Amino acid sequence: MTDNTTDKKKFTYYPGCSSQGSARHLDESLRAIAPELGIELDELEDWNCCGASVGHIGGGQLPNVALTGRNLAHAQRQGRQDVVTGCAACYLNTHGGNEKIKADVNLRRKVNDALAAGDLSYDEDLRVRHMCEVIVNEVGVDKVKERVTKPLTGLKVAGYVGCQTVRPFANTDAGGEYDTYDDPAFLDDFTEALGAEPVPFQHKTACCGGSVAVMSPDRTLHLVKNILEEAKQAGADVISTPCPLCQTNVEMYQEQINEKFGTDYNIPVVFYSQLMAVAFGLDAKKDAALHRNTIAPEKLEELATGRGEAKPRGAEPASPAAIGRD
Amino acid sequence: MTVAPPDTSTKYDLDFAKWVYENIEGGDKLALCMQCGVCSGSCPIGVQMDYGPRKLFMMIRAGMKEEVMTSSTQWNCTSCYRCVVRCPRSVPVTYILQDLAAKSAELGYAQKTNENVNFARSFWWSAKTFGRTDERLVTALYYFSFGLKEGYQRGLANLKIALNFVKRGRMHIGLPHRIKGRRQLKAILAKAEEIAKREGLH
Ligand code: SF4
Ligand code: SF4
Repeated sequence: MTDNTTDKKKFTYYPGCSSQGSARHLDESLRAIAPELGIELDELEDWNCCGASVGHIGGGQLPNVALTGRNLAHAQRQGRQDVVTGCAACYLNTHGGNEKIKADVNLRRKVNDALAAGDLSYDEDLRVRHMCEVIVNEVGVDKVKERVTKPLTGLKVAGYVGCQTVRPFANTDAGGEYDTYDDPAFLDDFTEALGAEPVPFQHKTACCGGSVAVMSPDRTLHLVKNILEEAKQAGADVISTPCPLCQTNVEMYQEQINEKFGTDYNIPVVFYSQLMAVAFGLDAKKDAALHRNTIAPEKLEELATGRGEAKPRGAEPASPAAIGRD
Repeated sequence: MTVAPPDTSTKYDLDFAKWVYENIEGGDKLALCMQCGVCSGSCPIGVQMDYGPRKLFMMIRAGMKEEVMTSSTQWNCTSCYRCVVRCPRSVPVTYILQDLAAKSAELGYAQKTNENVNFARSFWWSAKTFGRTDERLVTALYYFSFGLKEGYQRGLANLKIALNFVKRGRMHIGLPHRIKGRRQLKAILAKAEEIAKREGLH
């Protein structure tokens, strides 16, 4: 299913809407670390919104699936390589929608009838994957470790996976069976591979409130508070997460939580890919996009700019062996 | 396939369960529910729901249509999918709640001040018009969907976050990001709506 025309494994990359807004630092850091891990990201042409967790209410179920249909139709034009996204909601909708379309001929017919109005069709059986699953299954955590030139020594990291990155697809066949949905290990594995220290974290897959937190923080601030409290108790320097909405919710509401609950949280929340970019010795701003975090991850910034010896680029060319499981 | 919406003239509607089984996504799996309560016990936000999913499902079977369709349960669900992965009977709880939300909005059970519906409509406007979610415009439109006064209040309460995001380049100034194929998307969505009206989802 994959075109191996270069030594990198090529994917059609679906960045999702948050990549142009609240989660630019996820997109920027993913694009920076991908080539280091032997992954080529070919951006999905003219991609549209996935519908997130409210599209079915605003637009109706079928129009919502049609959003995914249009993206898949465009992906198909770009080739049969797998589609990959770093966003939990994009993954949930696009992977979930794709699997429904593949399993239900009737639904595929309806989606194709709708797509025909835009001169498009989706007849392939593409595979839509999450970036974390690709890193676990295609790259391998040991290859991540090999690429580290600036180990994040001494950095204590609370690995906050959130919901939709693992639920409900992480341990399904179509989802690549890359981890469990209740107690996933991959995020702590990433942390360890980068030379940092994962702290025990029970709230690993607790919910941040998702879009309900965006529309009415009052209903869900206590959920974020629980996450912050445990991270604080565990002595975490940063919280690391793969999910755009988790990153935003857990970071941006700390002041309001402090006001409401009389707490004094000020814990940086970063993407795992930002940690990787720093540990790979890449640029703190251009690649790790640390300047985009509203709560500065000071310890990480120190590691990025101060200590640690970055090996000169090119000294360690990305080897073809860094692709796939040997 | 399309069955008439539930009759609203009686308090207990014995056809309601059947309507849910046939018209709500995943509703056909509701008959498998054994009322164990794992879903409600796993729910991060269950205490803020009028009824947890387990109870709501029992009420569906009992024909308590009004209470079910106006319940806050489907609106407080954050789509965390914990219930789905844990249900011992493989009932697609989240999907059922999501479609109950969509149908209760569509059939006019949701109030004008329903935050989720207003948010969803603002969101869809952006997705449909630009092909992308413009987080700024969605938020602004949502805030002001409650009227001018509340719009300003909500905006003010979150102004600091917004300014911080602008400073960090996470909220852009200027025209919305738009796809090239806006007319194409519009045609696709209009057609999908038409098909949905005629035939439903499946
Ligand atoms: S977990 Fe499943 S079987 Fe148990 S009450 Fe909930 S829906 Fe019913
Ligand atoms: S998906 Fe919804 S109902 Fe299920 S556990 Fe999460 S918040 Fe509760």
